[in-house]
Amino acid sequence: MTPTLTVNGEARPLTPGLTLHALLRDLNVNPSRVAVGVNDDVYPGARAPHRTLEAGDVIEIVRIIGGG
Amino acid sequence: MAPDAFTLGGKAFASRLMTGTGKFTDFGVMREALAASGSQIVTVAIRRVELRAPGHDGLLDALDWDALQLLPNTAGCRTADEALRVARLARVATGVNWIKLEVIPDARYLLPDPVGTLRAAEALAADGFTVLPYVQADAVLARALEEAGCAAVMPLASPIGSGRGLRNPELLRTVLDGARVPIVVDAGLGVPSDAAQALELGADAVLVNTAIAEACDPVGMAHAFALGVQAGRAAFLAGRMPERAHASPSSPTSGVVRLPDPEVPL
Repeated sequence: MTPTLTVNGEARPLTPGLTLHALLRDLNVNPSRVAVGVNDDVYPGARAPHRTLEAGDVIEIVRIIGGG
Repeated sequence: MAPDAFTLGGKAFASRLMTGTGKFTDFGVMREALAASGSQIVTVAIRRVELRAPGHDGLLDALDWDALQLLPNTAGCRTADEALRVARLARVATGVNWIKLEVIPDARYLLPDPVGTLRAAEALAADGFTVLPYVQADAVLARALEEAGCAAVMPLASPIGSGRGLRNPELLRTVLDGARVPIVVDAGLGVPSDAAQALELGADAVLVNTAIAEACDPVGMAHAFALGVQAGRAAFLAGRMPERAHASPSSPTSGVVRLPDPEVPL
């Protein structure tokens, strides 16, 4: 079975050796305006580490929007 | 410090009108309306990035955050655990440790979960957040949130976005009586007189979003709310007259011109 990640609620195939930093680049996300969660850890997008992602990791990539 | 400044989270603010950034038609109107409101504390929401259309919507660039206190919120969270997750993401996304805590399991009335809110507030306060929890106007809960280390308590006036005004003034009085942290009435205010009423009762501030964003003229309404808040606060400081069950003449009761009492007909 292909290993997968969950990114913003959607399953995504995991390339072996993929890092968090590389995932943001692959997704074309501007890192300076987001926060990233990996399971229970959180990082500013601009300082997303070269952390190797593992099968089953749950990733959240969020931003600020208008709200009350 | 301005006279009668409002202190929250260790900072002094001249304005007692806090605002939201939702529902505006565009950033230009929002920017003008927030300027007209004089608001210094502005709340924003946290949402997932759209992976199919990445990019950001520019809110962080649309306002001068050096002049404003950014207040991220956990709107949309249904449980304490979701709110904890969003609060921690918000802190690293913004570099701000303030959080308007909303735990709302009910989509119809958007009423907050008191148990989940208290549990999340305890965890976030212990984690160094400046916590502003959104709750029903419940004095016992408000005291528990103070004990948990919250910086303020935000009782609702009526359901979020309903514009129905202050429907629970007696309950709000019990929250205000003996409160040791600022009480900020949040949600449901529809017109500036609603804001004035909350401040007259002794609320420290109000938070308004929909009533400004959905007004025909948001900029004009933002200005009107600023005036309502100022009037209400001035009235609270001046001290209102006692209420009476019966009339009390405003003019002297002596020296009144009198005609003879009419004769009683036979």
